[in-house]
Amino acid sequence: MSVYITQTGSYLPGDPVDNERIETVLGFVHDKPSKLKRRILKSNGIQTRHYAIDAAQETQVQNEEMAVAAGQLALERSGLEPQDIGLLSVATSQGDYVLPGFGSQVQAGLEIPRVELVTTHGICSCAMMALKAAVNGVKVGDQQQALVVSSELSSRLLKKQRYEAAIGSIGAQRGLDFNAEFLRWMLSDGAGAIVLSDRPRANQLSFRVDWIRSFSHADSFPVCMSVGHSGKGEDAPKSWQDYSTYGEAEADGALLIRQDVRLLENIVKLGVDGFLGLIEEGTVVVDEIDHFLCHYSSHYFRGKIVEMLTKAGAMVPEERWFTNLYDKGNTGCAAMFIMIDEFFQSGRAKPGETIFCHVPESGRFNTVYMQLTCVEGT
Amino acid sequence: MTQDDPIGGQEALQPLAQEALRGLLRTWMEFERKLAKVPVLRRLDTGTFSQSDYQRLLFNLRAQVVEGARWITRAASSFDRDHAEVRSIVISHAKDEHRDYEILEQDYVRAGGELEAIQAGQRNIGSEALAAFLMHRASQPNPVDMLGAMFIIEGLGEKMAASWAERICELTGLPEEATTFLRYHGENDENHMERFYVMLDTVATSPERVAAIQKTAKVVARLYALQLEELDNV
Repeated sequence: MSVYITQTGSYLPGDPVDNERIETVLGFVHDKPSKLKRRILKSNGIQTRHYAIDAAQETQVQNEEMAVAAGQLALERSGLEPQDIGLLSVATSQGDYVLPGFGSQVQAGLEIPRVELVTTHGICSCAMMALKAAVNGVKVGDQQQALVVSSELSSRLLKKQRYEAAIGSIGAQRGLDFNAEFLRWMLSDGAGAIVLSDRPRANQLSFRVDWIRSFSHADSFPVCMSVGHSGKGEDAPKSWQDYSTYGEAEADGALLIRQDVRLLENIVKLGVDGFLGLIEEGTVVVDEIDHFLCHYSSHYFRGKIVEMLTKAGAMVPEERWFTNLYDKGNTGCAAMFIMIDEFFQSGRAKPGETIFCHVPESGRFNTVYMQLTCVEGT
Repeated sequence: MTQDDPIGGQEALQPLAQEALRGLLRTWMEFERKLAKVPVLRRLDTGTFSQSDYQRLLFNLRAQVVEGARWITRAASSFDRDHAEVRSIVISHAKDEHRDYEILEQDYVRAGGELEAIQAGQRNIGSEALAAFLMHRASQPNPVDMLGAMFIIEGLGEKMAASWAERICELTGLPEEATTFLRYHGENDENHMERFYVMLDTVATSPERVAAIQKTAKVVARLYALQLEELDNV
């Protein structure tokens, strides 16, 4: 049985925040402007993004409220009632509570009765895990309609108070550790939602889900993006939960969101490796890709790897890339759904066209690929 | 296609060469994952790499670098006149690298080692296997599969320069001058890649040749990792 994306929705909190205003929202750490900000923004190319916190760093909308708003929009657009949804599959890297699962909160907010529930947890790729679980649920015939939601509220991790409280963290004496500051200029907030159905929309366009595949490489590399460890090496407590008090964990920098920038280049290579593997097995034919939606900006695919892919006949021409990363921001696991939402609503895809999506996650190196085909229902 | 007329940066290779290059890229990336698990290199990632690790690394790499000059020149002499184009490229490649081990020895001394010690060092069991395999393949008539070996070893040169050298200085406090060998490979690399594309485009002319290039790349990758896993095991 085929499964179709029949509607989408998204939610972005507040007004767009441009590069100049980032620190007026997240706050100036120790009242000083960042020295790294410009450099990192230049490399990621993001121009505007949205935050769920205001200029006083107070949360204006909860993560689960964003997820509910995106889900509601997708349901409204599809003309479905909450009770029409048989499976709710929800992803986030960090819910508003540590427990229970984020999906329970989102179900309550959406008032979906007696639903089969999936919550996935991870970083950028966990939305694709949630999507695959839902696709499979429909494919085996357990459900006819599913709602998949991904939502992120990263700004709570990025506000100045987090850094100022980490008085004993690496580099705290000098200012901020590069690895702890890097993501401050990358991540922002938002939610996306996708409605799946066992049939395409009548007389309208839907995206058939041809397949979703993923390859994780956590066995090969250390952690690259994390919250929960001070980054101080093997002698430090292994987890934020191993400190006597949560206050000590925060002071030691164990609650800062960190990226091991040195390891980051691996994710581009692993993304390419998975792609080449799918070409080798005949699952992907590069020339047949009409639209390429990638969670990473093309800024990261440059230099030698682009040259090699071009030589090897495996580079999707840049004019086929679609992204809204530059004005919607990098919203972690929500980003691909927010991108699909804009793409779906734009009407850019024509019947018969192939849409290829790629989500590389640097957390501990997971790569996900999805192929969709635009179809017109009868 | 001549050496003076390299394939432009944005131009695709002929279809069989494309297939070969895709296969080589995958073999390379699998090799990188393998290397990331080799204890001495894992310590670079986790930040526990020491000066004595660096000395051991150079000590154990030397044998392969000395042998490198031999197998490349042997490969060059195994190409007949129908492969003169490839032979020229392999010869100039060999000329670039055939005394690299002297640079490596100087680095070893700058890192606190003794010249006599490294010069007296024996191949570890991984280096034995690697050297034997490379000499064996290089001795076959028209050993086009050696392109697979060159791809892996060139890739390593770039990796040493781009991700090992600076990290080693950062973790051990050694000066840049103690990592000349690792860094030097990165500088030469771009030129080598252009030559490599030309060769691949020329020799990847049948599915059998593509498969042979791929297989040799895989064996070399495995044996290279073995050499780094078996430090000092002689």
